[in-house]
Amino acid sequence: MKNSRKLLGKEIKLAASPLSWLFISFALMAFIPGYPILVGAFFVCFGIFQSVQSGRENNDILYTVLLPVSKTDAVKAKYRFAVLIEMLAFAVSAIITMIRMTLMTQTTPYVTNPMMNANQAYLAYMLLIFALFNWVFLGGFFKTAYKFGFPFVLFIVISFLLIIAAEVLHHIPGLEFLNRTDTLGSTTMWTILAAAVGISVIVTFISCKVAMKRFERVDM
Amino acid sequence: MGTVLSVKNLRKEYPKFTLNNISFEIEEGMIMGLIGRNGAGKTTTIKSILNLIHTSGGDIEYFGMNLAEHETEIKQQIGYAGGAVDYYKKKKIKKIISVTKTFYSDWNDDEYRKYMELFELDEDKTPSELSEGMKVKLNLTMALSHGAKLLILDEPTSGLDPVSRDELLEIFKILAQKGVAILFSTHITSDLDKCADSITYIKKGQLQFSGTMSDYIEKCKSEGIGETLEEIMIHYEKENLHEKFA
Repeated sequence: MKNSRKLLGKEIKLAASPLSWLFISFALMAFIPGYPILVGAFFVCFGIFQSVQSGRENNDILYTVLLPVSKTDAVKAKYRFAVLIEMLAFAVSAIITMIRMTLMTQTTPYVTNPMMNANQAYLAYMLLIFALFNWVFLGGFFKTAYKFGFPFVLFIVISFLLIIAAEVLHHIPGLEFLNRTDTLGSTTMWTILAAAVGISVIVTFISCKVAMKRFERVDM
Repeated sequence: MGTVLSVKNLRKEYPKFTLNNISFEIEEGMIMGLIGRNGAGKTTTIKSILNLIHTSGGDIEYFGMNLAEHETEIKQQIGYAGGAVDYYKKKKIKKIISVTKTFYSDWNDDEYRKYMELFELDEDKTPSELSEGMKVKLNLTMALSHGAKLLILDEPTSGLDPVSRDELLEIFKILAQKGVAILFSTHITSDLDKCADSITYIKKGQLQFSGTMSDYIEKCKSEGIGETLEEIMIHYEKENLHEKFA
């Protein structure tokens, strides 16, 4: 078994907080009408934050770098764990979104919903919030591998600005389509989602590379 | 006997402290004490040889291999235990072990069970339920179960009661007889009287001496400095105090 897989196992069995798994359930918020459902993505990230915090309290980073692995492997493992949780939450949200876009397109609370509806744009925003977390929080954490207060506060501020912007956007004349419930056949909406997938993959990849370089410079 | 660890001209510069020109060698089956006052540079030396911090200069080789180039290979063959550090304090020992062992190609479950029994460790307990002495024993068990040829221990006897300390030093001697080399830092000189073959004495980041303990004590005795390590350390460190207040 490769070190990267063993380290992901270590993240899951030893470093992870149960809250990381529990908070995946916030992806179910995609069902709630009249609520800023993107906040669910923020809570998923908050769950991952709990694991980083628990890891720090349990000397997880020191334990990891003392194992016969490289420091870069330790960084990759944290990113892999975060992406795993994010993808599980995304999968839950994607299933709910598909249900809403196929079976519930005419459901009154959703059709008249003044807040964000679950559609491809919502999934795209969700991915952007995850990318933001990986970039701002995880990338920031590995500057010291110890201090995470500032990176997390920065993530909170930027993610809430993004949530507000996403809620405002579909009220702007001409952009109402971003909140439609019947967008299953919309090429524009699928393109928006595809673009978000691309952006989040690139941002996370670059952030991980930067974090590896930062962590290499850290004295334990 | 083969050289297990060779440190040459190790240097680490901090804004207010410099560890300078530290050199020493450890052979198979040797117990070396790394001594010095608090803040002398013992932990910095240990962190440097574990590649936990970036050195400003010098060469570190394990089993003839350069540390920077063969880090993962070297870590398969060494074990580390910090005195007060515990990992995953609320996880059961058996869970920690089940993960840890997957990283070591030479992990031996029979050896693991043997040391768990010998040290009277219960794998259903969590590290938070262990005393300081038992934590050190757990770290030793983990290191010995993957066949570590060198144990690097940072103040393993600090915080231990006299009986546990004596017991631990006895364990060191038994392990050394089996060919395991041990490097342990301490500021408790009586620990070294009981088990160390050699010492590396660091004073304010500078190497004061590195070699066999009997040679050092003989030399200091002939110079009228002292007859025990404690007397010698007090002589050197106190001399400075006198200069300061002069």
